[in-house]
Amino acid sequence: MILSRITLAPFLIAIAAACMPAAAQLAPKTRAVVTTPHVRAELVAHAPDGVAPGAPVWIGLQITHQPEWHTYWKNAGDSGLPTELKWTLPAGVSTGEIAWPVPKKIPVGTLANYGYENTVLLPVPLEVSTLYKPDVALTGGSPAMDIKLQASWLVCRKECIPEEGEFTLSLPTRGSTALNKAAFDTAQAAQPQPLGAPGAIAVDGQQLKVRLDGLPAAVRGKTLEFFPETPEVIRTAAVSGKDWTQAWDGATWTATMPLADQRSESPTVMPVVVVLAEADRQSGQPVAWRAEAPVSGTWPTAAAAPRAAAVSPALQAALAANAAQAAAPAAAQAQPAGAFMVALLGALLGGLLLNLMPCVFPILAIKVLGFARQAGNASAHRKAGLAYTGGVMLSFLALGGAMLALRAAGAQLGWGFQLQSPAVVAALAALFTLLGLNLAGVFEFGRAAPQSVCSAQAKHPLANDFLSGVLAVVIASPCTAPFMGASLGFAIGLPATQALMLFAALGLGLALPYLVAGFVPAVARLLPKPGPWMHTLRRLLAFPMFATVAWLVWVLGQQSGIDGAGTLLALLVCLAAVVWAFTLRGRTRVVIATVMIAFTAVLAGAIGRNIVQVPEPAKLAAAPNDGERWQPWSAQRVSDMANAGRPVFIDFTAAWCVTCQYNKKSTLADAEVLADFDAKQVAMLRADWTRRDPAITAALTALGRSGVPVYVLQAPGKAPVVLTEILSKDEVRAALAAL
Amino acid sequence: MTLSPTVDSRSLRAARQARAALSRASRRAVVAAAVALGATFLMGTNAFAAPAVGQQAPDFVAVDTSGAKHKLSDFAGKFVVLEWTNPGCPFVRKHYGSGNMPATQKAATDKGVVWLAINSTERAASDYLKADALDAWMKSQKAAPTAVLMDEDGVIGQVYGARTTPHIFIIDPKGMLVYAGGIDSIASARADDIKTATNYVNQALGEVLGGKPVSTASTRPYGCSIKYKS
Repeated sequence: MILSRITLAPFLIAIAAACMPAAAQLAPKTRAVVTTPHVRAELVAHAPDGVAPGAPVWIGLQITHQPEWHTYWKNAGDSGLPTELKWTLPAGVSTGEIAWPVPKKIPVGTLANYGYENTVLLPVPLEVSTLYKPDVALTGGSPAMDIKLQASWLVCRKECIPEEGEFTLSLPTRGSTALNKAAFDTAQAAQPQPLGAPGAIAVDGQQLKVRLDGLPAAVRGKTLEFFPETPEVIRTAAVSGKDWTQAWDGATWTATMPLADQRSESPTVMPVVVVLAEADRQSGQPVAWRAEAPVSGTWPTAAAAPRAAAVSPALQAALAANAAQAAAPAAAQAQPAGAFMVALLGALLGGLLLNLMPCVFPILAIKVLGFARQAGNASAHRKAGLAYTGGVMLSFLALGGAMLALRAAGAQLGWGFQLQSPAVVAALAALFTLLGLNLAGVFEFGRAAPQSVCSAQAKHPLANDFLSGVLAVVIASPCTAPFMGASLGFAIGLPATQALMLFAALGLGLALPYLVAGFVPAVARLLPKPGPWMHTLRRLLAFPMFATVAWLVWVLGQQSGIDGAGTLLALLVCLAAVVWAFTLRGRTRVVIATVMIAFTAVLAGAIGRNIVQVPEPAKLAAAPNDGERWQPWSAQRVSDMANAGRPVFIDFTAAWCVTCQYNKKSTLADAEVLADFDAKQVAMLRADWTRRDPAITAALTALGRSGVPVYVLQAPGKAPVVLTEILSKDEVRAALAAL
Repeated sequence: MTLSPTVDSRSLRAARQARAALSRASRRAVVAAAVALGATFLMGTNAFAAPAVGQQAPDFVAVDTSGAKHKLSDFAGKFVVLEWTNPGCPFVRKHYGSGNMPATQKAATDKGVVWLAINSTERAASDYLKADALDAWMKSQKAAPTAVLMDEDGVIGQVYGARTTPHIFIIDPKGMLVYAGGIDSIASARADDIKTATNYVNQALGEVLGGKPVSTASTRPYGCSIKYKS
């Protein structure tokens, strides 16, 4: 039942012995052929001098494969099974080992096997001792030796079919059996020649250093294929010239092979075969050589080099070095108090620097305006500073808490994730439009909002300050400044309390300048006094707000396409109109506002979905002005490039990340830098994290980061280099030069 | 922006497409997560460095035949057996048809071991089975794995260096690989050989559950080459 798919063709096609002509060259009396849909297998013999003690007698299984199908060598490689032959022979007759002809390496995707295609003969020498007594033929014909073979082979294309067959052959003991001479001669020619010297193999870490002496002068300098007879030692799929190398040292051939990742054999002697490439073979000349090389050195024990769960030691070191450069240590899970204090300090500094980030600028504008309004009122300044600080820190804690909760829920999220949601981006755009309109004087909150809210605002200016602190955090979060990247990566791996403390430190850093200004009069005194210029400043500050809206619309365009961005703009226009309508008086206000609201609602209902739609990835895959240079990132592509031996530069970026855009337009667009990339044949991949992408989130986490930008340069066989977030030309060029 | 029916139906169509894309995406997202987790290891010094016995088993996320998500690290604290499978492979049928694999699975899961059967056959392969078909086949064989995971993109298989069906990996409660190799000691497609072969999985699980180290921790897997997506 298990082998139900296997079709065993009828075998035993006997040719009547009586028909045999009395010729000098006799054909065997019985031939056995098994034909399956994938192979034709035949038991053949070669006994030019008849069957007698001392005479050369060969028998063998000849397998003719259907195109694309193959069977296997003695070491089948990554999968597959060697063909098995079980003989039933008369007393006094025995067989030797199969004289395996040289195989061919057959790659199967990422695996490789050693085997045979087309027609192959697996010859076996027959040893006839003097004890052998030929049967007397009962039918009166010439005496013959009956040979039975039970063979099983695995035949594969992409799929594998185990097959077996029984064969019988009556070999005439007198006269010559030489019908299959050509096939046996071919098999003989494909035998590896024993080398005079055993050669040597040394285990060196995860590599095998092979040394073979005594190869004929004619093959010196030629590229050889390498086949170990011992399975499960080397990485079979290793490609010559890429994963393994060979060289000639005078008459000595040397090679360095990678060991198999899951090696299950540790031989002390390895029989190995080297083979000339088919193009270099000459008829009548040996094509392959075999040596039984003693193995020196110690086989690596698997447990001796346990690997870190997620990050290789080299990468860990690279990350540590990079983090040190950024002055915020991304320490390991073990957190001595000292290391944690340094991390806290790093977070504080990171928060401070955040004030200088472009995404926080609108908030800076709000705060400067606030100080200007309340100039001279020390107590108000202190309270405002404290309220703002409270708003910032509580928001950071809330965000940190949300992130920890999501982390616990197993969601693939990272810092800046809130801007990955088109709905959040659209809501922020609406908020900034309102703020901009307010600053521009289109409406006053006092007039637009109900009286109670107005008075509440008037009574509670502190609430205002608190809310502006909240806003600062919402906007600042996507800007992972150099300090934030490492600190947050650190926080993600920390216990909840410590992670929250880190978030609080970041918040304190962000709020610190205002807090200081509030408490130190000298700082506050430096601020300009109120006056008519304030109105001008207020109008002026509307523009950063609108600029932020423009940026948010662009971000949404990345997420939801041109339809989404268009819809958002249309709705923002409606929103502005609604807000303006509320500034009118009396019946006009009621009528116009009602119409505007109704129109906005209908529009939002009709096309609002455009904002949150996620276009097919293919539409977004190619960013417009990137040309051919940048390819979309995928783990598969990274590994493809690694396999092709090409170094890879990965730009983890997002439309809402201003630092990313700056780097993209400056360093990564620099002609000299690009020329260096080309010179080193670096594949450039862009991982766009504008929309939520678990693959990219996980890749970032693997790098110890939780936000963008991250720039990674990795060359095959080397530790990846993580570059700083604010990418300088010199840094990139130095990293490229080090490849 | 007008409210003509064209715009409306177009936006409706867009919304439908978006919904369809989202449902496709949700499935892909899990695969992508697995891809990324795979990438974690590819980003190490050695591309395609599959774990060896004694090393940390790479984490992964995969969807099972009923659509549920499984993460290897969620099973921390338990022994986990990974079994690469493909019902189209005669070697797999040898061990299922004879009842050997279901019995091995049951013996393991009865002892609290998590058994994940993984199918890394690419969609384009002639013997690729969709999740429901694979599930039905498993049921027809009275198989008893904890879950049957779909890995059509081959990510998990590649990360582990799985080569054949069957190919077995055993992971200890700390996430270390303690066994990698074949199901048993006789590499053949003949069901008759099962009774004389050493079942390496039973042997290894018996040893580790008894607090002993695995005596035969690495063996040559045998079976059909896994048809990875190329």
